[in-house]
Amino acid sequence: MSLLELKNIYKIYGDLHALDDVNLKVEKGEWLSIMGPSGSGKSTMMNIIGCMDKPSKGEVLLDGVDIAKENAKNLTMIRRDKIGLIFQQFHLVSYLTAIENVMLAQYYHSVPDEKEALEALDRVGLADRAKHLPSQLSGGEQQRVCVARALINYPEIILADEPTGNLDDANEKIVVDLFHKLHNEGTTLIVVTHDPEVAEVAQRTVYLRNGKLHKETINEHFTGEIKFDK
Amino acid sequence: MNKRKMFFRMITASLLRRRSRMIVALLSIAIGATILSGLVTIYYDVPRQMGAQFRNYGANMLFTPTDGSFTTADIESGKALIDKADIIGVTPYRYESVRMREQPVMAAGTEFEQAKLTSPYWSVEGGYPSSGGQILLGATLSEQFRLNVGDSVEINYTPESDGTEETVLDSTKEFTVSGILETGGPEEDYVYMNLSDLEELTDITGKIDLAELSVSAKSDKLKTYAEKINAGIPTVRSSLVKRVTESETTVLTKLQALVLLVTVVVLALTMICVATTMTAVVAERRREIGLRKAIGASNGSIIKEFMGEGMLLGAVGGIIGSVLGYIFAQQVSINVFSSSISFMPLLVPITILVSVAVTGISCLLPIRSAASIEPALVLKGE
Repeated sequence: MSLLELKNIYKIYGDLHALDDVNLKVEKGEWLSIMGPSGSGKSTMMNIIGCMDKPSKGEVLLDGVDIAKENAKNLTMIRRDKIGLIFQQFHLVSYLTAIENVMLAQYYHSVPDEKEALEALDRVGLADRAKHLPSQLSGGEQQRVCVARALINYPEIILADEPTGNLDDANEKIVVDLFHKLHNEGTTLIVVTHDPEVAEVAQRTVYLRNGKLHKETINEHFTGEIKFDK
Repeated sequence: MNKRKMFFRMITASLLRRRSRMIVALLSIAIGATILSGLVTIYYDVPRQMGAQFRNYGANMLFTPTDGSFTTADIESGKALIDKADIIGVTPYRYESVRMREQPVMAAGTEFEQAKLTSPYWSVEGGYPSSGGQILLGATLSEQFRLNVGDSVEINYTPESDGTEETVLDSTKEFTVSGILETGGPEEDYVYMNLSDLEELTDITGKIDLAELSVSAKSDKLKTYAEKINAGIPTVRSSLVKRVTESETTVLTKLQALVLLVTVVVLALTMICVATTMTAVVAERRREIGLRKAIGASNGSIIKEFMGEGMLLGAVGGIIGSVLGYIFAQQVSINVFSSSISFMPLLVPITILVSVAVTGISCLLPIRSAASIEPALVLKGE
């Protein structure tokens, strides 16, 4: 059984079909990239997979449970327990330090553990920046705090929306290397991106156009490491 | 770290590290709490302050004898039935008809130190008698006899004849005018002297005709005192000076109603102000709320956190308001009543509780809207 399966998914706003009969399977431990131009339905798909939205039609099976049928309360619980989210604009709580931001995810999930949060920051190379506020961190450092926050509760899937969209090459490489490390540890990664270089690092890339799955490529030379042609 | 510790860490971090934002909310709560606590202090202190003001208009209770005259001991017995703290002054009066330059006048023997307390409105040119042999002359008599401060005059007392042939001895004593009394009232027709001088002149001691009392108490309490005295001391008839007590009650009731009305209006305005501020705070933090929900916060958690922040703000605002409210009430009291206000310790926890409750109620609506925020929309910046 696949970890995630989208069956005939539609998301319709009036006359607009943001997603139009999308079918997709993601296996446990897989690294999948979702690519497509603006308005292709990438964010809508990410919101549905991330339990932040529901499809108009179709089934979304996560660990065998159809999350399309769950109510808002249950979706919050599923999101908290099974999904780690990473955003393009980092989205850290501005008045909490790096470690407090990581502990925030623990707070909503179970019990905050400062030691464990520090270890998560250490994994992303930011143990020495734990007591800094987001405003005192660079963009790359903020995104690494987001990664630490996303992985702190050992989620089934890490869902990243344009995670390198606001980063320079050096920080982009750091973040992709972190994904590589997480993938090697068995974490399932779904990365929505515009950037072909980031997309091509994944094992598999699906392309969306006008709400439909346009094509799918498999990276036969998958190493999980980014190469820059810039 | 347990969840509670993290909860307090979050809400204190939100208040302390977002100081510039929170200071506006805190100010609105603190100002509301200040006015509230100040007005409540004034509301409860008004009777005491106004009571003191009314005491300037003279005595509000009279002791008269039930049969002819009574003694100092009777007055003391009546006085004992009134709380010591409420007694401002008790002035005994004894009236006798005397002759001054062969003209009959009314003399009143009294205790001037007490008269100053029960009749603070007396206007005296010169001074009150400070020792024996001095008199305070009513302005009418001063004009009639052309007597001024420092002049001497002989006062003669002739006891009333009981019709027997027994020889009646006159008594004459020379007095110095220490002051001229102006009241605009019947007091100007009297010659006042120390009670002991009148007793010496008449050779009758211990006899009192009337006692004026100035008691700092509301009308109801005064009535209770009067009833207690009338029931307990058979020689004393206690009555209230209705002209003073009734107008005092009317003014007090109206003043307290006004302060209460202002307090309620301020409370309502504070609630509107806090609710507006909290709405602005929530609107400003839509993205943060969306993020919290995205990483797993339930609606209940969001409500709890914002309520926690609001209530902490309410508590801090309440503490500041209690202190500033006392200072505010003190300033009002000094400027309006020319006397300091008494501190009411119970008002501190009450102000804090009311501030927390008002902030909590004011936060309810904006927090409910915060809980309905859709994370996906907010995080996309829509």
